[in-house]
Amino acid sequence: MFVPSVTNPVGDFVREWVPKLAEFLPASLQSDTLNSVVAFLVNALICVVAVCAVNIGSAPILIYMERKVCAHVQCRLGPMRLGWHGTIQTIADVIKMLFKEVYAPSGADKLMFYMAPLIVLIAPFIVCALIPFSRDLVVADVSMGIPMIIAVNGFGVLGILLGGWSSNNKYSLLGALRSGAQMISYEISFAMILLFVVMISGSTNLMSITLGQEGTIFDWWIFKIPVLGFIAFILFFISSTAEMNRAPFDIAEAEQELTGGYHTEYNGTPFAMFYLAEYIALITNSALATTCFLGGFLPPCIGITAIDNVLNMVPGVVWFFAKVYFMIWCYMMVRWTFVRPRVDQLMDFEWKFLLPVNLVLLVVGAAYITIGG
Amino acid sequence: MFPNLALPDMPFTFPLGGMDIAFYAVAIVMLVTAVFTVAVKNILQSAVFLIFSFVTTAILYLLLHAEFIALAQVMAYVGGVVILVVFTILLTTHLGEDAFSTKIPRLFAAFSLSAAFVFVMIKCILPTPDIAVATPSAPEGYSSLQSFAIRLLGYSQDGFIIPFEVVSVLLLMTLICAITVARKTKDEVEKEKEVRQ
Repeated sequence: MFVPSVTNPVGDFVREWVPKLAEFLPASLQSDTLNSVVAFLVNALICVVAVCAVNIGSAPILIYMERKVCAHVQCRLGPMRLGWHGTIQTIADVIKMLFKEVYAPSGADKLMFYMAPLIVLIAPFIVCALIPFSRDLVVADVSMGIPMIIAVNGFGVLGILLGGWSSNNKYSLLGALRSGAQMISYEISFAMILLFVVMISGSTNLMSITLGQEGTIFDWWIFKIPVLGFIAFILFFISSTAEMNRAPFDIAEAEQELTGGYHTEYNGTPFAMFYLAEYIALITNSALATTCFLGGFLPPCIGITAIDNVLNMVPGVVWFFAKVYFMIWCYMMVRWTFVRPRVDQLMDFEWKFLLPVNLVLLVVGAAYITIGG
Repeated sequence: MFPNLALPDMPFTFPLGGMDIAFYAVAIVMLVTAVFTVAVKNILQSAVFLIFSFVTTAILYLLLHAEFIALAQVMAYVGGVVILVVFTILLTTHLGEDAFSTKIPRLFAAFSLSAAFVFVMIKCILPTPDIAVATPSAPEGYSSLQSFAIRLLGYSQDGFIIPFEVVSVLLLMTLICAITVARKTKDEVEKEKEVRQ
């Protein structure tokens, strides 16, 4: 008999309490199998709710943050009217978005049109489930975390291609093809940087990648391998920006050239889902950068015992989200600082610069590990 | 005439645990999407159903604890092959305007071929002893990435280091070839400069 289980303190707590509560049920309903199945289902529900809460709950915060960062970069104030410094503005926008009528343009392939936003959301949710938020706070502690991330990234491309094609609009199709080409190209360097991380940490499990950076701040992968770690971090930053279709690599939805890109024809909830997928990808990529390079949930110890003790008192989740939001802030500053390259420049940059540099980085990293490390 | 035609006892005494339920659910989804892949009129829709069929196959591998094969399946097919197919379909003109259909004139031939295939499959699979209740004989962690890599890169007699290296050089060659093909020649660059001036 297959009895599924989720190993976690929370899971243990549920497994401990479900049999205790089951004693109040009639005797015919009491069995160990039923108890374990119920405990598993409760745990699974908790996992699903947690992933959804982190993802969907972060999106309004990120939208507010994006508006504020953008406004302050451009010497404006941003939303100020609704609530204290405009904090309720995004909630109002979300409510407006959800109550809009949902319709497809005439001649659109209805099935594909409504399936595309769902497919786009697959990858960010799966990646979010793999990320360790604290020492024992991870939904899926699988041994093949990094290959999993590389594998599910393909769904993003697929969703965008389908969304652009099924809209029956040439601007959407153009945007979808552009963004598909871009994402396929940048996926290669994205995967290669992750392979570099796998190589230096010797594991594909995200939890052991994080725990391999235990110690002081200089044990984080970004500093532990001199110069190479920092180069890899910068390359990861660039390729993940392109992977997310964020400016300056947002040729997929360059509004000056393509009206709105692949989601021109979308409105209401499906559009909100595309938007949500973009912001969840921002979170998951920042979380990935944090896990792979910035020590994940580990505190930034500096080697002085008195200070380290204070830093260690702060729970790991707080450190994790502090680093994630720092990364998100970096992505936003980049978005509002750099200009958008042309399509051919973008492709040249990937195939003629990023990819060769990545290959060299892999070889040099291997040489460093075998000779120096 | 056919001496071995008698089929062994049907192994229908599956222990109906969670794993079995999961298997049947995934298998049904896989079959339905596979049928839709062939039956749907629009070629792009059939590509999408093909993807779902591949993904459910990967989930089947996951249920069999072959994680690496499952991920390789998703990586190679969903991330690579089918995306390329979708790209090709999108770049073709007049897509979806007239529905494509495959007409097989020899209905009888097709039918007998598939019936023969099903027969051979049943004949091969069912005689396996204890197919339903046997426990896996592979040791724990046999299909994990680590033991996989150690076997793949082993120097010993049962290692695969030479084929692995040959394949990796081949893949590197294709990568470099892709870059070379995408690169502009000097003439093209000069022409472009002239056009801009």
